[in-house]
Amino acid sequence: MKRLWLPGGFVAAILLIALLAPLLDLPNPIRQDIARRLSGPIPGSPLGRDEFGRDVLSRLIWGARTSLGVAFASALIAGAIGTMIGLVGGWFRGIGELLTVRLVDVILCFPPILLALLVVTLLGPGAATLILVLSVLYVPGFARVAYAEVLSARSNDYVEAVRALGAPTGRILLRTVLPNIAGPVLVQFSLAVAAAVVVESGLSFLGLGVVPPAPSWGLMIRGARATMEQAPLMLLWPCAALTLTILAMNLLCDALRDWVDPRTPARRPRLRLVDRLLPGLLPPAEPKPETVLDVSGLTVEIETPLGAIKPVEDVSLSVRAGETVALVGESGSGKSLTATAVMGLLPPAARPAAGAAWFGDRDLLRLSEPELRRLRGGAVAMVFQDPMSSLNPVHRAGDQVAEAIRAHQEVSVADAKARALDLFRRVGIADPERRLNAYPHELSGGMRQRVMIAMALANRPRLLIADEPTTALDVTVQAQILDLLAELKRETGTALIFITHSLAVVAEIADRVTVMYAGQVVEQGPVAQVFGTPLHPYTRALLGAVHESDAAPVGIPGVVPQPHAFPTGCRFAPRCAHAIAACSAAPPPLEEAAEGRLVRCIRWTDLAGAKAA
Amino acid sequence: MSAPLIEATGLSKTFTSRGVFKRGRAVQAVRQVDVALAGGEAVGVVGESGSGKSTLGRLMLGLLPATEGTVRFDGRTLDKIPRAEWRTLRRRMQIVFQDPYGSLDPRRRVGAQIADGLAIHGLVPAGEQGRRVGELLTMVGLDPLQAKRFPHEFSGGQRQRVGIARALATSPDFLVADEPVSSLDVSIQAQILQLLGELRRDLKLALLFISHDLPVVRHLCDRVVVMYLGRVMEEGPAERVFAEPAHPYTRALISATPRLDPGKRTKRILLPGDPPSPSDPPSGCVFRTRCAHAIEACAGAVPALRAFGEARRVACIRAEEIA
Amino acid sequence: MRWFFRRIATCLVLAWAVSLVVFMTLHIVPGDPAELLLSTGGIAADPVAVKELRIKLGLERPILDQYLSFLGGVARGDLGTSLVDEFPVTKEIALRLPRTLELILAGTLLAVVLGIPAGTYAALHRGGLFDRIVSGAAALLLAIPVFVVGTLLVLVLAQMLKLMPAGGYVAFAQDPAKHLTLLTLPAIAIAKSLAAVVFRMTRASVLDALSKDFVRTARAKGLAPSRVLLRHVIRNSLTPVVTVLGLHMGTLLGGTVLVEYVFNWPGLSTPLLRAVEARDYPMVVGIVLTISGLFLLINLIMDLVYAALDPRVRAA
Repeated sequence: MKRLWLPGGFVAAILLIALLAPLLDLPNPIRQDIARRLSGPIPGSPLGRDEFGRDVLSRLIWGARTSLGVAFASALIAGAIGTMIGLVGGWFRGIGELLTVRLVDVILCFPPILLALLVVTLLGPGAATLILVLSVLYVPGFARVAYAEVLSARSNDYVEAVRALGAPTGRILLRTVLPNIAGPVLVQFSLAVAAAVVVESGLSFLGLGVVPPAPSWGLMIRGARATMEQAPLMLLWPCAALTLTILAMNLLCDALRDWVDPRTPARRPRLRLVDRLLPGLLPPAEPKPETVLDVSGLTVEIETPLGAIKPVEDVSLSVRAGETVALVGESGSGKSLTATAVMGLLPPAARPAAGAAWFGDRDLLRLSEPELRRLRGGAVAMVFQDPMSSLNPVHRAGDQVAEAIRAHQEVSVADAKARALDLFRRVGIADPERRLNAYPHELSGGMRQRVMIAMALANRPRLLIADEPTTALDVTVQAQILDLLAELKRETGTALIFITHSLAVVAEIADRVTVMYAGQVVEQGPVAQVFGTPLHPYTRALLGAVHESDAAPVGIPGVVPQPHAFPTGCRFAPRCAHAIAACSAAPPPLEEAAEGRLVRCIRWTDLAGAKAA
Repeated sequence: MSAPLIEATGLSKTFTSRGVFKRGRAVQAVRQVDVALAGGEAVGVVGESGSGKSTLGRLMLGLLPATEGTVRFDGRTLDKIPRAEWRTLRRRMQIVFQDPYGSLDPRRRVGAQIADGLAIHGLVPAGEQGRRVGELLTMVGLDPLQAKRFPHEFSGGQRQRVGIARALATSPDFLVADEPVSSLDVSIQAQILQLLGELRRDLKLALLFISHDLPVVRHLCDRVVVMYLGRVMEEGPAERVFAEPAHPYTRALISATPRLDPGKRTKRILLPGDPPSPSDPPSGCVFRTRCAHAIEACAGAVPALRAFGEARRVACIRAEEIA
Repeated sequence: MRWFFRRIATCLVLAWAVSLVVFMTLHIVPGDPAELLLSTGGIAADPVAVKELRIKLGLERPILDQYLSFLGGVARGDLGTSLVDEFPVTKEIALRLPRTLELILAGTLLAVVLGIPAGTYAALHRGGLFDRIVSGAAALLLAIPVFVVGTLLVLVLAQMLKLMPAGGYVAFAQDPAKHLTLLTLPAIAIAKSLAAVVFRMTRASVLDALSKDFVRTARAKGLAPSRVLLRHVIRNSLTPVVTVLGLHMGTLLGGTVLVEYVFNWPGLSTPLLRAVEARDYPMVVGIVLTISGLFLLINLIMDLVYAALDPRVRAA
């Protein structure tokens, strides 16, 4: 919003001055006074007089009136006609589309000034010709914008919903479609006005636009150019007026566009290198040799306009060779962020604020970027959720796998490709020779995920982190991928951290499970025990919400809190059926309930006792 | 069973890509589907992506024109109804969408969107609309005061409740729910399913519940229809289909669904390869290319959806042998 | 391959549509075109002259006949003769076109060479000093109309500082150094908005690519930053830049007319402007058709480049 004010105010001021020109006490802009030809500033003419002795200030202001008048008139005409064409073409498609949108598209095959020159040849120069030509020129722009917006609005469920309600077409177009395309059309309008000012001044500059002696900025520049050796300042005024006006209009367009399309403005990232040399990290714990990865007390902090938030707080987990540990939680639980922190792939605004992640004798959180890079894709690999967006669309699948091999091993391109072929076979890609040369969009979802897995396995990692690797896949394909992962893990002894929101998947694949809620670990232990006798009320509620047992699933009331509104006490307390006053008083500690079982609930003993009794 | 409220017969939908120079590739989204719902009955339509389940839902609502076949609603054939009458009929059939973000107009207050249906059909006098919107919001578990809010002020689950309220505003007899919970978190999914179950009972709605997840429909629906590549593979009472699937595809689907309790886990049937493209489906049985029980005869004629046991139908020539 | 032929076919259809629009313009203007062409400032034209012009423009013949002979002429490369001096239009164009092409090429090259590296650097150091200065400069460059830039360049560099010649043309064969010196200012004037556009688009699309999942994958593979940048960020950012280059070519071609005028560069614009002023319709039509054809051709090339960069387009 703030960005709208300055250019908006400037444009409004120019418009106001142009509108009020007749009311201002200005000298006649076309009265010549040859005696005072090219005089500098004189009383009554603060900017001097031009080559015919006309008052420059007055001509500037009246010129604005001409330029903006032509520009607004043509943008309005073009906007009305073009938007209608786009609406009709987009809504009715088929023949309507061909006769409207496609037809006006032909105008776009002409460079704008040239079409104008063609018409000027026939009709002769003048403001009316300009308005006609400019309107024609900008119709396709509006038609296209309106058409594209109608198409995208049409595909929206809320338009379908109104259709399902039985609303007549007119009501849908007016009440639902038009308000939703008004923004982009408004932006297009401001673009058209700015462009029209440029074309008008250009044609006038060539002597083919506004007819002298009528004042116009283009004509003024044309005139001043002839006498620029004697009076260079004469040239400067109209140039400055024109440039500033267009600049303000362009800035207004940009601001309008941002305002209409409010994609959250990304915060300026802080330099990563500085972030990495953080003071205040906890004293490093001792490396634990028996585990492949040992994360302790990991806290991730993100700077936001509302202050620093901690979407991951004091998370500890470990995984041994050949073991699968599942990290389970709903959206907003911080499970993915935990994994990306370990990989050193946190988004720029986020940083690990405390804790350690021991991989052998190295703490991943404190490694330099080059050291981390040698590990990433090598000893530690990762598979992501959406295989379509995670593969680069413009490179062949085989090349992307070969690239991963060559990043860590000194092998020739041909050797790397041969190994990629082996990997493709190993992850069960049918017809691997052909698939090696396929682009990602030519593969099915399951196949793409197999490519991602091949890429992750390329350098025989000791640790594989899979972040929701089957969420985007169909059930039968998910079964294939889960099977493949289990098989590969058996063969290679890789430690696997499996992140998912699905408890059933956890039960299928994991040895141990860590349940996360609102950035914290709430329960941890062997899968059979945690799912068999859950200790934390959240785990129990989550299990009850799954459509599994013969009883109908029961939902958990409320929603997962946002990181900036985490409750001070137990974060689950507001949704918990067993919450008491003490729960909200202080954050509950993570207690060891039994060997290898952790729970973050002050009432777990009461609840377990009550259940047993 | 009483006379069906809505009945689709031989329903097919072929999408052809348009373009001046493009050679049209026909995608057969739905082929020869028969489905019928009695008043107050809940039927689940289950299938993976590309099975045509969402297209079926839109065909049954008349939101898409069918390429072949007919839909009869309350004894009347949909495409034979005059336009003006169509609109009044729309009141009786509504839809709830999958995406809780795209299904509400971001620029209008939710109250106004819920009131749309009331206004279009003139169901309540203008002065009464606010009160009725409040009632609807209460019915879906929201605060009537929230009518003044914009969609972005709601969470995903709450938006889905608003979507349900909008659909129920016109007191429909038939509701299509197109994957209404699949983009929600587990704990929220169960809330919405509970709500739909209660509303269906209280309002005696005929419900067509579309889902890719078999267990989800199990508790909510009386009957279930399993689709694969545009065709119905199997149909029957939800509990029975779930407990003893007859079609090899249904078996694979159920066995592929991850289970919480390892004791209940059946031997997993892994389907080889990927589903064929709907623009180039296999001859005969569309599932045969991935079926472990396929024989030569499967490639011949398209297997008919035939009676199988009590109140069940299956489209597999070997169903009895396999069982 | 099917995509390729489809694209060529579209291009031919558009070229035909363009010729149709040009032909029809003469006939859809209200009133007698010959009378319009001969009238000045509302004074009625001499009926004898009008009759003569009607015969010359072939307006007396049936419209279909006119159209077919126009189309045949275009296909043969015969665009008629000038109304002023009977000089064949095609010959005039053949003489002037290479000079205009040179200017366009020089301007585009300059814009790309400046815009892409600057845009990439600004995106990688977003919010830094370079980014802020160049982004501001780009906004300013976009706002100054091309003829204003040209005129100011002449005023400052030629008139006041006497560093560069004010304009003119010398054939390359005659004096290469002089030719290039004379080329510099017009090329800069032409390049200025395109450079700003390319800079903005590169900056935006590099920023966009940086946040993509596949860049995260590339980093997760352990690739060196330079490789991530070249193969996964810049490579993917080029496609929108190519699109915007194609879109902006219309403005650039229009701008060329103004720039040639300002710098006395004897390209297509000299006969064009002369012909517009003299209402020499065949000459205007010939040049407009040529430049529009050039525009279509450039867009075709851009689309081919786009397809080479993005395999998904070829499949669509």
